[in-house]
Amino acid sequence: MKTMKFIIHNSKFIIATALVALFAACTPDEPTKLYISEAEADAMIEAGTCLTIEEFKAAYMTEEGNYCMPDLYRERSKAGNYYLFSIDTIPVSDTPIYMRGRVTTDDYAGNFYKTLCIQQMVGGKQQALRLSVDAGSIGGLYQLGQEILIRVDGLAIGRYANQPQLCLPSYNNNIYANKAEEKVGWAAGRIPFAIFKARTQCIGTPDKSKLYYDTLKITDYNHITSLIEARSWDAKLVCIENVHFTGQLDNNGTPKNCTNGDPEIDTEANVFAPTTENMNYPQGRIIKDAQDKWTLVSTSEYAKYAHFYLPANNYWGNVVGILGFYYDNGKNYSKYPPEASDWSISIRSLDDLQLYDGDDHWLYDANGNYKPGYEYSKN
Amino acid sequence: MRKTIIAVFLTIAAVLGAKAQTRLIGRLISVEQQAIEGATITLANQSLSTTTNDEGKFSLTYLDAIDEEVIVEAYGYISDILLVQLVENQLTDLGDIVLQPDISTELKEEVILNLAEIDLNDDEGKSQSMSSASSASQDVFNATISYAWSNARYRGRGYEQIYEQNYIEGISFNSAERGQFNFSAMGGLNDATRYREVVEGMEASNFTFGSWGKSTNYMQSATNYAQGWKVGLAGTNRNYKGAARATYSSGLMENGWAFTAQLAWRYTPYIDVKGQIGEGISYSSVGYFFTAEKQWGKDKRLSLITFGAPTRRGQSSALTQETYDLTNQYNKTSWGYNNYNPYWGYQNGKVRNSRIVHSYDPTVIASFDWKINEQNFLKAGVGYHYSMYSNSALTFYNATDPRPDYYRNLPSFLWDGQIDKNGNWINESYDGDKLGQGGDSHYGYVGPSIDMNTYNTLVDLWTSRDDKATQIDWDALYAANNANNVNNPNGSARYIVERRHNDIQEGMINLNYRNTAVENLTITAGLEVKGSQGIHYKTVDDLLGGNQWIDVDPFAERDIKELATNIGLTQADIANVKQNDMRNPNACITDHGRFGYDYRINMINAKLWAQNEWNWNNVDLYYGLQFTYSSIQRTTDMLNGRAWYLAKLNPDYAFYYLANNADAVLNSDINALPTRLKGYTYHFVDPAVKVGATYKIDGRNQIKVNAMAETKAPLGRDAYLSPRVHDRATESIYRHANPVAYAQMYGTSVLEEYFGASQKIAGGDLTYSFNYPLVRGRVTGFFTQFWNGTELNGYYDDEARTFVNQSLTGINRRHMGVEAAAAVKLGMYFTLTGVLSVGDYRYTSNALAITSAENGMALADESDRAANDLTQGPIFELRDSVLIKGLRVATGPQVNASLKLSFFHPKMWFADVTVNYFDWNFLDYAPARRMQGLFTGVRADGSHVNGSYIDSEINAIAKDENGNTMYDKYGVPVLNYPYNLHSAQESLVDGNVLNRFLVDVSVGKLIYLPNRQSISINLTVNNLLNNTHFKTGGYQQARLPRQTKQGLTNNKIVSVISPNAWKFPSKYYYAWGTNFYLNIQYKF
Repeated sequence: MKTMKFIIHNSKFIIATALVALFAACTPDEPTKLYISEAEADAMIEAGTCLTIEEFKAAYMTEEGNYCMPDLYRERSKAGNYYLFSIDTIPVSDTPIYMRGRVTTDDYAGNFYKTLCIQQMVGGKQQALRLSVDAGSIGGLYQLGQEILIRVDGLAIGRYANQPQLCLPSYNNNIYANKAEEKVGWAAGRIPFAIFKARTQCIGTPDKSKLYYDTLKITDYNHITSLIEARSWDAKLVCIENVHFTGQLDNNGTPKNCTNGDPEIDTEANVFAPTTENMNYPQGRIIKDAQDKWTLVSTSEYAKYAHFYLPANNYWGNVVGILGFYYDNGKNYSKYPPEASDWSISIRSLDDLQLYDGDDHWLYDANGNYKPGYEYSKN
Repeated sequence: MRKTIIAVFLTIAAVLGAKAQTRLIGRLISVEQQAIEGATITLANQSLSTTTNDEGKFSLTYLDAIDEEVIVEAYGYISDILLVQLVENQLTDLGDIVLQPDISTELKEEVILNLAEIDLNDDEGKSQSMSSASSASQDVFNATISYAWSNARYRGRGYEQIYEQNYIEGISFNSAERGQFNFSAMGGLNDATRYREVVEGMEASNFTFGSWGKSTNYMQSATNYAQGWKVGLAGTNRNYKGAARATYSSGLMENGWAFTAQLAWRYTPYIDVKGQIGEGISYSSVGYFFTAEKQWGKDKRLSLITFGAPTRRGQSSALTQETYDLTNQYNKTSWGYNNYNPYWGYQNGKVRNSRIVHSYDPTVIASFDWKINEQNFLKAGVGYHYSMYSNSALTFYNATDPRPDYYRNLPSFLWDGQIDKNGNWINESYDGDKLGQGGDSHYGYVGPSIDMNTYNTLVDLWTSRDDKATQIDWDALYAANNANNVNNPNGSARYIVERRHNDIQEGMINLNYRNTAVENLTITAGLEVKGSQGIHYKTVDDLLGGNQWIDVDPFAERDIKELATNIGLTQADIANVKQNDMRNPNACITDHGRFGYDYRINMINAKLWAQNEWNWNNVDLYYGLQFTYSSIQRTTDMLNGRAWYLAKLNPDYAFYYLANNADAVLNSDINALPTRLKGYTYHFVDPAVKVGATYKIDGRNQIKVNAMAETKAPLGRDAYLSPRVHDRATESIYRHANPVAYAQMYGTSVLEEYFGASQKIAGGDLTYSFNYPLVRGRVTGFFTQFWNGTELNGYYDDEARTFVNQSLTGINRRHMGVEAAAAVKLGMYFTLTGVLSVGDYRYTSNALAITSAENGMALADESDRAANDLTQGPIFELRDSVLIKGLRVATGPQVNASLKLSFFHPKMWFADVTVNYFDWNFLDYAPARRMQGLFTGVRADGSHVNGSYIDSEINAIAKDENGNTMYDKYGVPVLNYPYNLHSAQESLVDGNVLNRFLVDVSVGKLIYLPNRQSISINLTVNNLLNNTHFKTGGYQQARLPRQTKQGLTNNKIVSVISPNAWKFPSKYYYAWGTNFYLNIQYKF
């Protein structure tokens, strides 16, 4: 009886306690540290140094590089007085050196492989850099629009085919590569994932709306043949306005019509990236503007949409992607001096092709659904 | 055994009937005054023995009047020897003989059962060899090895567990699908497994026809248990830290009922000490066991039994030598430091394991014993159990592999490409310039082409056991999903924890009849019927903060380009291929929803057997015959896109993939099909025959011989090439199902085709045993030949760059060896026991492999087809020989030896120290590394291999001085270093002989208290000398490292086998370092 009275008298307290206990028991352990806040990032930066992307390149990227590269004198490595391949290691600093930027790439569709591009707005202008990381689907952890803070001392900055990138030295000993005699040797290599992860923090959640697109005409960049100037354009997120696919490919600087062949065996098939006959390089397909100026859309043969047919030439609009200037002057490549076809746009997914014929989008039907077979986009 | 002795007893009565009645009687009781039933009483000098009845009494008549040695043996009790002078024509009454309980063995069994439970269902690589429950035998060999060799994963005569039989109250509990017994069903319930009959190998038995390994019948009737309470506590530093048990038994009450119940609890929280045994593991198990028995007189009794042990336990992983060495740098001072486990990581600062096993086998049994009369006995039983077994694992979609020990995350990945064809570090540039000297990292020397700064940074992360580099970074996985929710709220989560369910429900009926009406003959017959259903599916266990999981096959999606090749399907059609369920495309799965696959294997298994045992004065003889009917059928609730794709691609063989549903799936509305799509049912009938004899030279020496032959239908788990995807069965099963047609097609016999799917086994053993006052033991030689075994493997293929399934058939192997044991009494208190087993278990033929991609893609181009192959199109199923002839079967050490010094004091002190030596222990081979095509460039089906050892780019094939290819004695080309490391079968034995020893000690005391109470304490310490180099098992990774050769035409990826034999190294399980088990038990 006494017990019953006690229970009734204290029922509210008991119920409340039970509910709290139940709630505590049912609440899953949520991780607290999904990312760092702006304030935490600022505090980290305050304890060290933070460089803009261009400051970082200027401070550490030299023409010849500081890392042992006995192969620098190969024809592939040098173009005139400029070195297309280099490595500069950055010594570990007592006070950390940081660089921050927002991720502009996504590898869902398979057109970027073990590469992140980041951008940073400085004085209203876009600065950009490639990050070479040895992790497949790295975009799953560092997603489109995600701002990141990277500690760069202890890493390296290098160039691969004139494209600047955050990297670590790696000896490329692929003796089975085509023209291996030009390629085997030290090069800007991928940063092992564990090392990259230990040095990289996500700041907040991704925000694609904060991505900046340099809206360009083809003529804004494809006349640039200065290797030095091209380095500052490389890796930028751009939007090329009022263009269309022509169903052509680049044939040593001249457009050539694609064929209707089987992309498994025909290197000139009318798809984004048919076979390379095992050469494993990205393939270019021509887009032209109203002035008949052209540039290439570059697609890896490992992209999920590689064998999808090109948009018909009656679909006009914008093409968004990462601007690249890839200049590889190897023996027998015979491409000196640089030219327009060294420039290309790498799209992140088919969604980057904002092409219309009137109201008809090339990718979606009238209901906003993907046309059959074209669903490798989304991100 | 009991049956044998009853028969012998009758034989004595018949043959010696003319003698005068010199008699010996007595009664065996426990210290609790409970009668001991089934004990063996042997007169060593007269070749006579008998067993005690249910009152513990025995009687031997018509004896010679001599000085006799009476050997008293009972399972669970310490054996006793009584010296008796028998007087002619007189009755000698030994009165009550009190046997002391063998507490030491009883308490050790929990340790062995714990090991068995851990090893079972290991789903990484092939199942580890494991030790089953200890033997109940009084045989010196079996009684010693069950504990001493369990830590080394010894398997008797090298037989896998499918060749052992496990019964409960006469009902078979070996799974029809996996062929194994699930020890975790009775996890921690030591009383549920305490009483049992064990028959070694093919010997005569009264509850089973038997098999090649031992057959065990767990007897769980309530009257087996002593009346009263028993409570126990245990502490250990193994995979759980504490255990508690309580058992109550009513004893047989006046109303004829008896009840026994046990509750058992085992627990450890997550172990958050790196380097400690069981790091990153949690364990929680509650077991219940209840048995009720009703007796009607002495002739009939009914037992009703139920038990189960819901268990959740974290798992640990096999390790490569590199991760073992790197992580051994850490925390070396604690007990046993070789315990790195990559399966766990910190989530919000707390330990979380990604691999959590959930198991629960609720079981009910009803068993009825009916002694019809003195000559006829019938035992009938029904049973049902639902085995819920699931294991969790991380899976990911378009995101970085989260495994910390993924090969690309290890320092050794930097070696890739830096090793030349001779296995040395490259030290010259392409132009021949010196690259430098290389350097010494914290983990050994690396070549000059490796950047030391990068390498040492990685090594430092590993040797310091960095949380984010060496464990799962749960917070990063949540962060990725969180970011994905922002960017793509309707998309698939990047990471989830999935749960792979492998449930089995089984219903069993058993009838066992025994007849002793004919003098000297015991007839035993049995009928065992089992209906079984294996239920396999995946669920989302935890979305890790993601919004949902979209159910498509990521490999099929990734390879969509290849899938579109050569088949003339539209891109919209091709998009179907990635669907795991075409009737529910792009299914949006939330927590606990099913996805991936959802199929069942239905099986019926019926055995009818009979056995005759003849028992004469000096000779016992038995023979038996068994017929087994079994059937297998796959059904699926998901219509897999790859099954549809393959059927559409090969319309003439659409039945392979969709069975009877092929036409409807390809030509009708798939949504109109029934929910459950049924495959073909395959029926098998398999005979078995056995025979054996014992010749008793005298009361102390005997010779025994056993022989058996049988055919064995494939298990459900091995019958299908890719059961998650489609109905395609192994080739031999199709031929079995249509033997006449195939016999005509191939010019073979119908019988050959009919039994072509079944394994054939024949073998026997020969034993000499002796039993003297000071020494007893035996020597056995055995030989067993297996033909046409089957096996299913799955692995990631580096050439195809996708997950493949591989079905192996035609596996022949031979197990032969010698077992020997002797126990010598050293004075009053000590016994020295020596035990030895030397085996030679090896494959005697090559096997045939059929390999197909799980994502449906072709594995070779049309241009790779053999010149005489007129079939068009790419090759989806590769057929090749697996060159395994001469390799050792990986079933634990094949040389095992122990020397054990035991101490027993009548005041119930007991102790022992055992020194064990193990050798000839071999790693399981990966079939993918032993393919004929790798060695010759051409597969058995004539197709061309893209990248083989004969390629001129590499110097892999060894040549003699004349430039001719060298072959080993089995006809396999010899490979040069380092390529030979790819394919050689590894030894698990450490190079240092001292590291092949394990030393165990045990000490205990039984204290009797007033009023029949007692306390027993036992401490066992295993691996006393902390040998952390002892490998107990592992597997060779199937993935073969390759490089791609650029620049060739006709669109071939020309693959070159890499000399980097360290890229996908073998993985090993190690024995725990020093570990203990302290057990305290109180009876009242």
